[in-house]
Amino acid sequence: MTYQQRNILVSLTISILVLAYYLFRWAGMMRAGGLVAEDVYRLWGLMIGISIAANIFGVILTQIVSAIVYRIRTNQDEKFIEDERDRLIDLRGTRIAYLTFSLGVLLSMLTMVLGRPPLVMFNLLIFSGLTAQILADLSRLAIYRRGF
Amino acid sequence: MGNSPISNRIRELRFFHDEMTQQQLAEKVGVTRQTIIAMEKGAYSPSLELAFRIARVFGTKLEDVFTFEQDADSMSS
Repeated sequence: MTYQQRNILVSLTISILVLAYYLFRWAGMMRAGGLVAEDVYRLWGLMIGISIAANIFGVILTQIVSAIVYRIRTNQDEKFIEDERDRLIDLRGTRIAYLTFSLGVLLSMLTMVLGRPPLVMFNLLIFSGLTAQILADLSRLAIYRRGF
Repeated sequence: MGNSPISNRIRELRFFHDEMTQQQLAEKVGVTRQTIIAMEKGAYSPSLELAFRIARVFGTKLEDVFTFEQDADSMSS
């Protein structure tokens, strides 16, 4: 598994865990009687904060661990090369993320048009953001596995 | 082979250059081994810059390494 694939896998795992946590908290709120603005906004901030921090630390930690493992196994330093194909794959993933998130934004705007409370819009935005990240990572992994 | 209209002789040229490995070629042109594998399978068409670098490593012209195989009918459409 290449350096890029490892990073994608870490990002994907973190995004899935964050989404699972978000859904768990959201279900908890619904069971407790519905969405409360204060709780939703707090969860919003928490999700974004956790997602960014976990991704940064996850990638750094993966690089450190994989560099150590590679050094032990081969007695050489691992080279972290990113070439034009990697950048192209990354761009394709980003395009899927943009499409997914755009669709989410469109749907959340639609809820406003239909007269739903703003909290629904906020929930849809965070959900589509996390889903976009997951789909982007999955597509990148699929392209790497397929060869291109 | 992949679905790219550009085919190449990288595998053959590697063989005739002291059986150069994919890793060695990748290091010479500054890409990953996976990119060389994808090119050899015809799954990935390199940029012009990378194509020139590969041709230079083999000491040959670009068209001796890469061939554009799209037929005339599909080009006019």
